[in-house]
Amino acid sequence: MSLAILDGGTFYHHAAIHGQRYRELFDKTIYAPELTTDALVGVTFLIVPDRVNPNILRTKRDVLIDFAKAGHTLAVFGENRADTWLPGVTWAPRPTNFWWWLDKDARPPNRLLAPEHEFFQAVPFEHTIWHFHGVLTPPAGARALIDVPADPQGRDSGGALLYEDRVTLPGCMLVSTLDPFYHHGSNFMPAATKLLDGFLPWARAKAALRAYSSDV
Amino acid sequence: MKPGLALSFGYEDGSLHALTSAGTAPEILLRDIYSLPGIDLNDFSVLFVSMHSDQRFLAARALQIEQFLVRGGVVVANGHHAYSYLPRMAGFHTIDHYRLSDITVLRLTDHPIWHGIDPRDLTFRRGVSGFYGRVWHEAPPDAQIIHALGKPDMPLDFIYPVGRGHVLFHGGNDLWTFGGEDKQLASRIMQWVAGERDVQ
Repeated sequence: MSLAILDGGTFYHHAAIHGQRYRELFDKTIYAPELTTDALVGVTFLIVPDRVNPNILRTKRDVLIDFAKAGHTLAVFGENRADTWLPGVTWAPRPTNFWWWLDKDARPPNRLLAPEHEFFQAVPFEHTIWHFHGVLTPPAGARALIDVPADPQGRDSGGALLYEDRVTLPGCMLVSTLDPFYHHGSNFMPAATKLLDGFLPWARAKAALRAYSSDV
Repeated sequence: MKPGLALSFGYEDGSLHALTSAGTAPEILLRDIYSLPGIDLNDFSVLFVSMHSDQRFLAARALQIEQFLVRGGVVVANGHHAYSYLPRMAGFHTIDHYRLSDITVLRLTDHPIWHGIDPRDLTFRRGVSGFYGRVWHEAPPDAQIIHALGKPDMPLDFIYPVGRGHVLFHGGNDLWTFGGEDKQLASRIMQWVAGERDVQ
């Protein structure tokens, strides 16, 4: 039972995955173009970081779906067009507002919907707040954990930044629009590092639990 | 002059849009990065490598890239050089807990690509620093260093020769997303390459 992560080969994946801060947390690192079903033997929790080339992920679609079908957990981050390869994912782009925080009176639109969820025991909500790249519409039966209201300019009707889907496939899929691996691996955003500081040890602990189908 | 070639990383992003919609002459064509083995780089004058590129894959294509350079091609490469895909490059150095003074862009040499662009407009974007660069690289000894980060001996933008060609290296966010609202750096890069070719 182990935690694995896909490596997209960019410099920020290299820094985040192979850098000293987190590398001991991963039982297995799989270069995304080399992902196979055999590579996932013994893996119970697979992380697909943000900004892995979706052309690769689409060619590995069956491997990823079979992994979730087997009852395992798949955590998928943003900017990799999961809507084109992962069942149930509906994503709408929204122009990124990098500047919301420059007004000291500004409040981020992000809303915590499930404060009791154990994800937030590991990752305080404030560590999930930075700009975002689009919004997700969770499939029927899935549970939004963080969302934002409708775009003030009317380009979308709002949606989730993080949701948990236990109904589309037998396993659990955590899907997010956030891109913490890019920002941590680029030395560019403290909140992204804090998110990974909480998320990765939690993912490792979850991976180590054999029976967690009802408590993720 | 032959067109430029930009390698795509598979999703929509303002960076590639800024590059391929800049109205450069000649144009810059977009191809999937993983199609590189089947591409004859002799058909192109410049190879644009985004910071979002799979460098592990590029490292496996290092010989193809070096041969392109040796024959006179130009590679414009961005990001942190984490895998050895460019000849003559050494490692990079992060700056822990950097302050503004650590990541202030210093201009060491005037260069046509950046001529007339105030280094302060590279250091700051809407008052926020860090977009242009946050780490420094060890440049080859014969590199022309345009910009450094914080201190003159910490190279950020530099140009160095490989055979008859050149590498233009920018150790930060994609160079062509800077230069004001009209993103003039993409056009200037193509003009610079055309000028280099005229000289030869």
